[in-house]
Amino acid sequence: MGDTKILIVDDELIMRESLAGWLERDGYYVETVASGEEALEMLKATRFDILLVDIKMEGMSGLEVLSYVKETDPDVAVVMITAYGSISTAIEAMKNGAFDYLLKPFDPEELGVVIDKIIQHQDQARENLFLREQFKDRTRFESMIGQSIPMQDVFDLIQDVAPMDSTVLITGETGTGKGLAAKAIHTNSPRCGGPFVIVNCGAIPEHLMESELFGHQKGAFTDAKETKKGRLELAHGGTLFLDEIGEISMRMQIDLLRILEDRVFYRVGGTQPIEADFRVIAASNRNLGEAIKEGIFRKDLYYRLNVISFEMPPLRERKEDIPLMAEHFLHRFSQETNKAVDGISREAMDEMMLYEWPGNVRELENAIERAVVVSKGRNILPSDLPIFRPEHFSLPTDNSLKEIEKQHITKILSDNQWNIAKSANILDIDRSTLYSKIRRYQIQKAS
Amino acid sequence: MIVPFEHRIVIFPMGALETELLKRIRQEICQTFSYQTELIPLPKDLSFALDPDRNQYHSTLILEKLASLAPPHAIKALGIVEVDLFIPILTHVYGEAQVGGRACIVSTYRLREGLSPITEIYCNRVAKEAFHELGHAFNLRHCKDQTCIMHYCRTVKDVDRKSDRMCRYCKVLLQDEIKRLGGV
Repeated sequence: MGDTKILIVDDELIMRESLAGWLERDGYYVETVASGEEALEMLKATRFDILLVDIKMEGMSGLEVLSYVKETDPDVAVVMITAYGSISTAIEAMKNGAFDYLLKPFDPEELGVVIDKIIQHQDQARENLFLREQFKDRTRFESMIGQSIPMQDVFDLIQDVAPMDSTVLITGETGTGKGLAAKAIHTNSPRCGGPFVIVNCGAIPEHLMESELFGHQKGAFTDAKETKKGRLELAHGGTLFLDEIGEISMRMQIDLLRILEDRVFYRVGGTQPIEADFRVIAASNRNLGEAIKEGIFRKDLYYRLNVISFEMPPLRERKEDIPLMAEHFLHRFSQETNKAVDGISREAMDEMMLYEWPGNVRELENAIERAVVVSKGRNILPSDLPIFRPEHFSLPTDNSLKEIEKQHITKILSDNQWNIAKSANILDIDRSTLYSKIRRYQIQKAS
Repeated sequence: MIVPFEHRIVIFPMGALETELLKRIRQEICQTFSYQTELIPLPKDLSFALDPDRNQYHSTLILEKLASLAPPHAIKALGIVEVDLFIPILTHVYGEAQVGGRACIVSTYRLREGLSPITEIYCNRVAKEAFHELGHAFNLRHCKDQTCIMHYCRTVKDVDRKSDRMCRYCKVLLQDEIKRLGGV
C-alpha cells in the first residue's frame, strides 16, 4: 500500500480532505490539488500511480486532465469522480481511457474495490514487464543455454523468425546446437502443435533416402511389404528439419528443390500426387558456398533454403558461456548418475576455459558426463578431464578447423583399430557421418 | 509497558451505552494500550455535525469537538456514538480517527444491523472497531493481515471475521508509538 501514490484533484476542499484522510489511513501516499492546472504542475514533478479527478472543476476540466495524463503517461490509472448529474461525461471519460468512475458520495466499499482493482492491474502489468525484461536477460532458450552476446543474438533471431513460415538455414560447426535451434524455432512457431520431423541427411544411405523422404507403396520394391509414409508426409502441419543438408546427393537435391517449390510429391511406386504442408528448416556444418564452388551443392537449392539464415556460434567464440553450461551439465549428469558431484574446481574450470572445444557444446557435454563418472570427490578436478591434458591431446595452433577435425578422427580411428562403430560412438556421430568424413578427408588406414 | 500514570485514554460515550460493553472496552484498552481509562459523557447535542440533507453526522466535525473537549491529561479521546456517521466523499463510515492525532470515534449505528444490543456479536464488533480507531490515533495504518484488528473492514461480516487482537507487526509499531509518547 505504502508504495502507491495517489493524487486527488478536486476543487472542493472538504472533498479533498475527507478523501485524503480516508486513503491515508489505508497507508497510501496522498497529495491533493484544487485544480486541473495544479494537477499538471504536480505531475511534471512527481509520478503518481492513481489519479482521482473530479470531472467538474473551474478552469481545466477533469476530462482535460485525463487527456493530458493518457498522452504523457498512459500507465497512470485515472478514476473520475462525478455527481449524479454528469454520468454521461463519466462514460465519455471511460471511453477516453479512464479506469473507472465513482459517483459522489461513494460507498467506502466501492472505493476500496476500485483502488484494489487498480493496484492489482498495475502489479500485473509490472509483472508482465518484469517477465519481458527477464526474457531479454535470459540465459536459456528452450534447451539452449547461453548468456553471451552471440547466443543472445541467436535467441532474438529465433524469437523473430519463429512466427514466420519462411525456410530457415542454420549453419555452424558440429556440436554447436543447430538441431536445438531448429527445435526452438518449431516450438515457438504457429506449427508447434504439429510434428517436428528430423531427416538426418548424412546418416541415411543414399539408396534409402528416397523411400525415407517420400515413402513407398506396397510392392514398389522387393522389401516394400507395406505402404509406408515418408518423412515429408509425416511432417504435414509441422516442421521438416533437414539436418546435414550438405551431405545430400546431387540427385536428391534435384528432388528436394522440386518439392520445396511445389510441395507435391509421389511415394516411391505411387501414382497419386501427395500434397504436404510443412515448414522447412535445414542445417549444415559445411560451408555451402564453398560446396557450390566445388560443384557438389546446387546453387538453386541453396537459394531456396537460404531465405533466412543464421550461424550457431562455436563454443570458442562464446567462452563466457562455458561455466553456465558446465554447471548445467554437471547438475544433469550428477542427477542421472546419482553421484554427489556438485562442483567444478577452479583449476578444472581454468582448463576448460583455455581449451578450444573443436567439438563444441556436444564435446563439453561429453566431457562433463565423463568427469562426473570418473570423479572421486564432490568436485571435478583437472584430472577428471583427461582429454585436455597435453599428453593426451595436442592442439595444432596453425591448422584450419578441418585439419584439426581430420587429425582427431584419424587418431580416434587409429586408437580403435578402425572399428567404425566404436569410433563413431566416441566421436558422438553416426556411422554414416563418420564414413562421409573419412571419404571427405580421404583418411586412410596406416599401413 | 509502563506509561505515565497521569496519562489516560478518555472515553466519551454518547447516550445510554450498555454497561457491559463499556466495561469490556475499558478492560481491553487497558490491557492492550497500557493506559488507564476515564469516562466523560459526550454532550447529547451533536446537531453541529448533522447534515440535514443526508440525515447523517459529519464525523470529522465530531472528532474536532472531542479533541477540544478532552482534558489535558487525555492522551487520546475515543468517542462512541449511536448516530450514523459520514465523511463528505463517502456514503457512511463506521468510525474515523485523527491518524497520529488525539481523537477517534466509532459509531454503533451500522454495526448493530438489527442485532440486539446485548448480543456477543454486537459487543465484539463495537469493541473491535473502537480498538481499530484507537489504533489509528496511535498512528497505526491499515494492516494487510486479515486477522489483525487493524485490517480495514468493508462490511460487518469482515469485522466479525477478523480477530480482536493486533498482529505482531502492529503490536511493535504500537509499542514504538507509546514509547514515543512517554511510556517505557
